[in-house]
Amino acid sequence: MVFSSLVFLFAYLPITLLIYYIVPRKGRNLFLFFINLVFYGWGEPMLVFLMLFNVLFNYIGGWLVDKYRQDAKKKKLFLVLTCILDIGILAVFKYTGMITDTLNMLPFLNIPNLHISLPIGISFYTFQTMSYVIDVYRDDAPVSKSFINFGTYLALFPQLIAGPIVRYRDVADQMINRRETLAQFTKGVKIFCIGLGKKVLIANQMGIITKALFETTGVEPHGILGTWFGIAAYTFQIYFDFSGYSDMACGLGNMLGFEFLKNFNYPYISKSITEFWRRWHISLSTWFKEYVYIPLGGNRKGVKRQIINLLIVWGLTGLWHGAAYNFIFWGLFYGLLLILEKFVLKKFLDKLPSVLQHVYTLFIVLIGWTLFYFTDVNQLFAALSDMFNFSKGIISDNTLNLFLSNLPVLIVAGIASTPLGACVYNRFKHVKFMWVAETLFVAAVLFLSTASLVDQSYNPFLYFRF
Amino acid sequence: MTHYANSKGGRHYAAEYRDNENSVPAYLPALIFVGFIFTMAIWFLFNPKLDYSSSEKRNLQQFPETSVNNITSGKFGKEFETYFADHFPARNMWVGANAYASLLEGNNGAKDVYNCKYGYLINKPVSKDNEIKNNIDAIVDFKNLDAVKNTPMSVMLAPSTGYVCDDVLPSIHNEYKDDKYFPEITSTLSQNGISFVDLRDTFKSAYKAGSQLYYRTDHHWTTRGAYTAYTRFCSSLGITPAKESVFNIEHYGGFYGTTYSTSGFWLTQPDDIEVWNNKSNTADNLHMKITEGTETKDYDSMFFYNHLEEDDKYPVFIDGNHAYTEITNTKAEKGTLLVIKDSFSHSIAPFLAESYKKVILIDMRYFKTENVSAVVQREKPDQLLVLYGIDNLANDTDLVWLQ
Repeated sequence: MVFSSLVFLFAYLPITLLIYYIVPRKGRNLFLFFINLVFYGWGEPMLVFLMLFNVLFNYIGGWLVDKYRQDAKKKKLFLVLTCILDIGILAVFKYTGMITDTLNMLPFLNIPNLHISLPIGISFYTFQTMSYVIDVYRDDAPVSKSFINFGTYLALFPQLIAGPIVRYRDVADQMINRRETLAQFTKGVKIFCIGLGKKVLIANQMGIITKALFETTGVEPHGILGTWFGIAAYTFQIYFDFSGYSDMACGLGNMLGFEFLKNFNYPYISKSITEFWRRWHISLSTWFKEYVYIPLGGNRKGVKRQIINLLIVWGLTGLWHGAAYNFIFWGLFYGLLLILEKFVLKKFLDKLPSVLQHVYTLFIVLIGWTLFYFTDVNQLFAALSDMFNFSKGIISDNTLNLFLSNLPVLIVAGIASTPLGACVYNRFKHVKFMWVAETLFVAAVLFLSTASLVDQSYNPFLYFRF
Repeated sequence: MTHYANSKGGRHYAAEYRDNENSVPAYLPALIFVGFIFTMAIWFLFNPKLDYSSSEKRNLQQFPETSVNNITSGKFGKEFETYFADHFPARNMWVGANAYASLLEGNNGAKDVYNCKYGYLINKPVSKDNEIKNNIDAIVDFKNLDAVKNTPMSVMLAPSTGYVCDDVLPSIHNEYKDDKYFPEITSTLSQNGISFVDLRDTFKSAYKAGSQLYYRTDHHWTTRGAYTAYTRFCSSLGITPAKESVFNIEHYGGFYGTTYSTSGFWLTQPDDIEVWNNKSNTADNLHMKITEGTETKDYDSMFFYNHLEEDDKYPVFIDGNHAYTEITNTKAEKGTLLVIKDSFSHSIAPFLAESYKKVILIDMRYFKTENVSAVVQREKPDQLLVLYGIDNLANDTDLVWLQ
């Protein structure tokens, strides 16, 4: 199930909220545990067993690590075993196809394609469970005494299928003690509606543009600006889709009394790639930093080792995003740029006028999304050549029409990518009648999103299969 | 007086400020949200579950089967989502609201239909990647068959609505390429001894003179448009068409056509549909037969007034889409005309029947029982006509089976 669907908004959510607030506090986690499984298994019910298995062995893994906390060897053994099992499951479900395809390139091999379908959210919750056992191992978080509480954490529906990746230590306390308040609930409603609007009203519209430009056969060449326009639309689409989903997750969390950390912080206003990755998908970058980069030695073992560590982290970051080589290239592309910025470019970049710093960053980000979007290498090179080639014209008539008829949404998307709206809001939020504006905003987003959801079966969700 | 001058006053101010944050209106967004999702949920429960949607012309999803197999395979979940969306409260209102909202957002239409001046709802131009060439080639191949090659053949295509009525289009719109396609088609056909009846100039000048040639809410031509095409077809063959004055023109209101129901612009005014009825035609001279599979039914009128009760009134002409329709008129002058056609022919067929003793209409989408060349051998028509709307020809994938 996805949040931006009628069934979620008008069946699952009302039922969940109603029962959650009727059930006495003691029973709320148990109820959440159950309703999470309904959410997770909605499309593919058999996956519930995979989830339960995951919860069970990680719970046991954490318990064993805690039990042998005095015995360094055994403690490490159980940690390693649990992590191998976690990564093993992820590898089997996500990377089997990629591995067999690669091996089959060898002339003497012909491994049949197993067609394993990717369980939703597995990349996200695998990282969550690993954060749990590692945190217990490092004494950064207490072991979970209750199986139900741990299961509730792992499968918590707001962040289950598209993040943010919530580290156990950040919510360990909330799993046991949380006080739902009306103020927090209201805050959650507002954040949820911001996310819903981002996803349904902006990202989906941008998706229509990308689809029209890059997934329709037999159209005239878009021209050089036309191709950049398509990539720009995708740049907006992926941000509003993903950050919208994170906002909805945080908002739903608030409605149930949780507080999650912010996952996006206006990435497109960055002045460098280093800054971009501090603002984009923060929970993922944090995870890699905490659980891969620093254990590898980080920057403490000399420059050479640091560069290798960065390349490992970014190769893995790319691979995490999808089981295809273009994702690894995409990750390494960023890894190399970050290394370059850190050791060479930073001095020069800092001296540039800030406009040029923004232009530089956005240029790289757009190229990055081009690598990310085209999973087919031939299409990728065709698109890249169109982006730097005037021979196919400036912009085709139909592409110009598409641009002009979407101009208002594009302008809104541009403004919403900056903190401008938040600044204005913070400036005026204590004004007496701010609730009027807030209520109108919530009502308008709900009305328009419902209209759009009823209208369009067109509702692809980009991070669904990650 | 200056209550923020001392610490007590300061606290007082803070409390007041907190009150403002926690006052009932501050929770109004949450109230609206919860109220809305619960209202829709309860409304859904009590909303009558229909079997069929007349505006979408399809059966709606029924409550999915609750078998173990259905649930474990995930089929239940998927069907339930469709069921939920299909029976969502005030479904049509939402679709309309979304269509008009997209206009406010700067779009020029919705669902590939342009929202135009004077209440015209016009389909977007066909994509560059279309079936026109394949279909024209299929017509040429057919004409070259031994059974067909001695029968004269004409091709007539209805130009795109947006091409003819270009003054009503929104300022941002894609180009209708009739001026590219029509000459290409003409040259292919003329090389193979097929004459092409080019309606572009006739339609453009009739439209400029004030005739309504296309419906505003439907993709078809109006009866006036069909009559204009009929006179042009007759003149291309040197036949004198039936005069407008022989017809009694009947007007019927409340016609909501295809572009209306796809786009969701519910506030658009309906069209009038005209039936041009030649009262001198009676059961003595005129008969119509509809064959569907092996079943044939006889009628003595070409107009099916029962369809005027429905939203889509276009099937008033010859009962709409059928595989094989035959109209005989003993009072007509010419012999047999065989028409390979789409639905644009339905409104022109009554006019053609004024000139030909026998008009046979074959719809390649439904006619699967034999080859058309076999019909040509049996019926020995004096004239063949392939008649399509250019938009339909661009999307049709059945004409290639013409043999």
